[in-house]
Amino acid sequence: MTSQISAIEIQNFALWDKMKSKRSLFSFDLEITARCNNACRHCYINLPAGDKAAQAQELTPAEIGRIADQAIELGAMWCLITGGEPLLRDDFEEIYLLLKRKGLLLSVFTNATLVRAEHIALFKKYPPRDIEVTIYGASRESYERVSRRAGSFAAFERGLGLLFEAGVRVRLKAMALRSNLEDMEAIAAFGRARTKDFYRFDPQLHLRFDGDPARNAEIGEERLTPQEIVALERADEARFGALQRGCDTLINQDFTHFGCDHLFHCGAGNGSVNIGYDGTFRLCSSLWAPATTVNLRQVSLRQAWEEIIPTVRDLRSHNPEFLQTCRKCALSNLCLHCAAHAHLETGAMDGATPYFCQVAYARAAALRDDPSYADGAPYKAAQNQVGG
Amino acid sequence: MTETLSLDSICAPSEDVVAREIEGELIIVPLASGIGDMEDELYTLNETGKAIWGKLDGARTLAQIADELAQEYDAPVDAIARDVNGLVSELVQRKMVVVQ
Repeated sequence: MTSQISAIEIQNFALWDKMKSKRSLFSFDLEITARCNNACRHCYINLPAGDKAAQAQELTPAEIGRIADQAIELGAMWCLITGGEPLLRDDFEEIYLLLKRKGLLLSVFTNATLVRAEHIALFKKYPPRDIEVTIYGASRESYERVSRRAGSFAAFERGLGLLFEAGVRVRLKAMALRSNLEDMEAIAAFGRARTKDFYRFDPQLHLRFDGDPARNAEIGEERLTPQEIVALERADEARFGALQRGCDTLINQDFTHFGCDHLFHCGAGNGSVNIGYDGTFRLCSSLWAPATTVNLRQVSLRQAWEEIIPTVRDLRSHNPEFLQTCRKCALSNLCLHCAAHAHLETGAMDGATPYFCQVAYARAAALRDDPSYADGAPYKAAQNQVGG
Repeated sequence: MTETLSLDSICAPSEDVVAREIEGELIIVPLASGIGDMEDELYTLNETGKAIWGKLDGARTLAQIADELAQEYDAPVDAIARDVNGLVSELVQRKMVVVQ
């Protein structure tokens, strides 16, 4: 008799292709708090750990359970539990288990500084798919220059050690910023020494969801120059090699959107959505423009999925500058620009951010190995030629 | 563990798995470590398996399940009973089903 049960590796599951062929919700990110015990200089969301007003707004386990049930009805298989720092919540275990028991595959983003024996016991008994930990520095000095909390590096090392000792699948990542730039080589070595396949870094900092001008000024100060970003990417041979091999698909005039005034050509709201600590529903983690969000305390997830997302994705630009530049730019795959980031930078989803252009030009020049591309002239000329 | 299984056994899904039906497929999601053979795997049941799984309610014996399926599918009860026993043995071995 042939077996009636088949084990299939998650990534090879034929069901995903079936789900992709129609509009299905695959996953959702759940920011269970915006509070964090660190005060990282570059963070787009962190509020103080003791922020009582923010805490009072956090979704309760019952509300999270209700939203998760709706997500599952829509087909969701994955849930990312993130924050803020999710382990800051006293009811983290309750939330984790209630999501797990609904059959969701869970990932957790954490700074690892609050990992305790009870978390280890939880993760050992009910394993997450993975836990992603950010390395802010490979030494106390650089780590705490970013985190602005004394003792946080020791707590990070301790928490990370507990996770590894327990055999929990950990992925490591780093943010590259002014305060840890000199330490990036050591950070990469720290990451690669601990995980073979899963270390990555991100040099592109987003502005804050709450628009806090003082914090946004700090993020601006932490941003690397385009040349520094390119130098970091060049130093990572595997990453740079992959970018170069994909150069023709990353930089391609045929992939631009001539004659289209849609704001969204990204994947926001296609298969995945974001749920904020206070129930705010967003198409992606960066999209905070007021016209694009609703609160799941007032609106069901199904309604948001079926009505809000199509409406948002159909939004158009009437800004001639945007339509003549960004919308027609062949470098959109190398650029941080999107409707969400444009809104965070300029207050308009079709606003221009010169810094993004400069980074994209520098990356293109490096990939093309042609410094004449560094001022973007070839792309600007192409924008003027095609589509008028 | 499989040695103790007989058609008189009463079985139910383990609390350490969740069964979900998506796009017509029954998917078994392991919750706890030690379920199934490998990490990062989901499990699916074929149509026969799905029909059997749906009746593992902790109340019926495997013989009763085989009888019901034989009537529903107009098939010989002996053949169905072998299928029921084979699948449930495998599920018990994988700790996805418990014998009560």
